[in-house]
Amino acid sequence: MFDRRIDLAGAALFVAVMALLPLMFSNNYLIGVLTVSVIYGLWSVSWDFMSGLTGRENFGHSLFIGVGAYTAGFLNTAWGLPAWWSLPAAMIVAAVFALAVGIPTLRLKGPYFALAMLSTAVIMQRLMLIFWEQTGGEEGINGIEPLIRSQLGFYYFALAVLVAVTATLVAIARSPWGLILRAIRGDEATCQAAGLNVTFYKIASLVISAAVAGAGGAMYAHYQLQVSPQVFAVVMSITIITMVYVGGMASIYGPVGGAILLVLLTELLRSFGEWRLMIYSCTLILILFFLPEGFIAPVWRWIRARLGARDGASR
Amino acid sequence: MRPVLLEVRGLTKRFGGLTAVKSVGFTVSAGEVLGILGPNGAGKTTLYNLLTGFIRPDEGSVEFRGRSLLGLAPHRIVRLGVARTFQLCRPFVGMTVLENVLVGGLANAAARTGAGAREARARDLVAQVGLAGKEHTAVEVLSYGDQRRLEIARALATGPSLLLLDEPFAGLGAHEIADLSALIRRIHADEGLTVLLIEHRLHEFMKLVDRVIALDFGETIADDVPERIVRNPRVIEAYIGGSADTAGTV
Repeated sequence: MFDRRIDLAGAALFVAVMALLPLMFSNNYLIGVLTVSVIYGLWSVSWDFMSGLTGRENFGHSLFIGVGAYTAGFLNTAWGLPAWWSLPAAMIVAAVFALAVGIPTLRLKGPYFALAMLSTAVIMQRLMLIFWEQTGGEEGINGIEPLIRSQLGFYYFALAVLVAVTATLVAIARSPWGLILRAIRGDEATCQAAGLNVTFYKIASLVISAAVAGAGGAMYAHYQLQVSPQVFAVVMSITIITMVYVGGMASIYGPVGGAILLVLLTELLRSFGEWRLMIYSCTLILILFFLPEGFIAPVWRWIRARLGARDGASR
Repeated sequence: MRPVLLEVRGLTKRFGGLTAVKSVGFTVSAGEVLGILGPNGAGKTTLYNLLTGFIRPDEGSVEFRGRSLLGLAPHRIVRLGVARTFQLCRPFVGMTVLENVLVGGLANAAARTGAGAREARARDLVAQVGLAGKEHTAVEVLSYGDQRRLEIARALATGPSLLLLDEPFAGLGAHEIADLSALIRRIHADEGLTVLLIEHRLHEFMKLVDRVIALDFGETIADDVPERIVRNPRVIEAYIGGSADTAGTV
């Protein structure tokens, strides 16, 4: 009971800080960095919901991001649809890709799902170059309209989406659904022996994960006002997985912190010029080496335990 | 005559050139405790996997309450009321004892109630198998005997009418075996559950079961009450490989 109150207080504090930061500094560069970090947060949370909970690693989350972003690009420029159509359309297209990759590979044990995700993302990146006449090739699609004209307005929209998505996914993760997903991570055969349709739960989770990532992709396209094949890049997927690890796998809320932390770290290190990647990599190695459980979620659990103990003692 | 719950006929499974289960047939009556006996490699676990849908037979039929189980996915068979445990304990690692049992009850249509009722039922089962006080223990730190109890609680949570136990005594000490054996007897008596049991530990096994089916090289070599099974020359030959004199020790 205390735990839930402390969690809510922590979430409120996080939202307040994120909402007030751009007002305090009122600087377009900072708003831009925060917007990107919030979108990465969406991608990390959605990765964690499927792969963190079930343990079936997805090495091609950029597939969903990319198809979401290109869906937004096509609909908005080639078809001239209003920008707001992009979000539902991107979610549907990403979900269809999730079904196409998930149905054949998530029934199987072994690395097939991880490999299929990775290779489908790579194939899509190549296809964007091969069909350059339609996709704009390396240049991608330009001239995408913004969702919200005001930069600050878009930031608040993205933050609201992130908070709503995270709250929903945390609620699912704490429900019997989440229990089943964690049980799948434990042992799939035992899940079957418990009467659970393991394949259904894995595919359904992937579809939810894909829809969120696709929506994030569309938001990214409408923020950058262009989309290039780089959204399908393997490095995109790896960055997201790193954010989840730093945040704390299977906690759902942790990856939000992981994403914001790593995006901010990347920006802070810009002044180090050529040393940037070196410092970034060393920081990551240190975090993963000394904190294999991640950073954000374990720290939060520790704070919660301390506060919970004090709250209990004062009664 | 008690009604027939499970009827197996001509069940055959080949893995390449090896016939793991060869034309096995038997019936299980409601409320019975039936033992399946056989040396290592006799096809006992394969038989369980065939009955529970984890592998598909090449030939034969399996009927549960008159309904064919052939071709059904494992989770469908569980929902019809056939639950199993695994020879090597396979708990959900990273979760607590209570959570493990809760997962077992999620697909149980008869117990589709609110979260509170589900948890109360899981707590009851945890207590019933003698794990009270360990609800919030991580399953990784449970002793082997406790893991066996947990396996049974998880299987019971699915609300079965037929429980298939795969070597529940494997790896346990004499004390734990006696406790677990009492637990199985209690479940059978209290819930009227029909139990199918694979076991190697003959002493406890023979006291538990009403009837024994002996397998060797995938074939049924005897189907009889325990008293006569231990004197059956083919069983002694297959199981002990020695003369009838050694049979007195089982």
